[in-house]
Amino acid sequence: MTDVTVGPPASRPAVMRTFLNPYLQIVIGALLDTAGEILLKKGANAVPTAGGAGGIFGVTPLASGWTWIGIVSYVLSLVSWLYVLRSVPLSVAFPLINVVHVFVPVGASIFLHERVMPKRWLGISLIILGVFAIIKPLIKAEERL
Amino acid sequence: MTILAIFLCVTAQFFLVAGQLLFKHAMNAHQPQATKARIRNLGIGIASQAIWFFLWLGLLQNWDLSRIFPFEGLNPLLLVLGAWLILKERLTVESWVGIALITGGLVLVAR
Repeated sequence: MTDVTVGPPASRPAVMRTFLNPYLQIVIGALLDTAGEILLKKGANAVPTAGGAGGIFGVTPLASGWTWIGIVSYVLSLVSWLYVLRSVPLSVAFPLINVVHVFVPVGASIFLHERVMPKRWLGISLIILGVFAIIKPLIKAEERL
Repeated sequence: MTILAIFLCVTAQFFLVAGQLLFKHAMNAHQPQATKARIRNLGIGIASQAIWFFLWLGLLQNWDLSRIFPFEGLNPLLLVLGAWLILKERLTVESWVGIALITGGLVLVAR
């Protein structure tokens, strides 16, 4: 009989191992995505819209610091998501990351003081149900790609 | 929301999905591809995502975040519709129900 070491490598401190838990990372990624959206909105509010046809594209918000912090937060959420996809199947990760559809309106009402009416919540609920109905074949297609 | 805003939201999501598909296609390690084709797909993907980003910022300048963010729900819908229209895949009843729910939800959010 030989001794076999089992369990995760003990080389990393426990805090780091907890932080790198992919399911915790889904929550962290969703929060970073939400923060990114709220910061982008703050940046977009901070500067006036460009006049004329150019107003369709929001180039002027780049002058606001909020926008750039938002971009950083957004990129970090993408890094977290790619890390999650390394170990969690898309069929599990994708339904879970849909919490952003709840986080973002909640964040918008808390931090941006937007009023989210019951009708809008009903619409958001329908969208989430619809996403859940659609994702099965979508995940198969995505994994093939 | 105006018709123009809804149109811009849908267009922005179209560019976002197109960019994601191009990225995935370009980065796919399992598929043999010429390096030139990979770089081209990556380049078009980046351009597509840049268009999405500035359209999105433009929309954020004019509308509530809680009103336009639900349009992200178009993301899976566009992929499934793309599979139906372009790849000629048959959609299940579930998918059609999903499409109806997302569309109905967006109508409620946008009004």
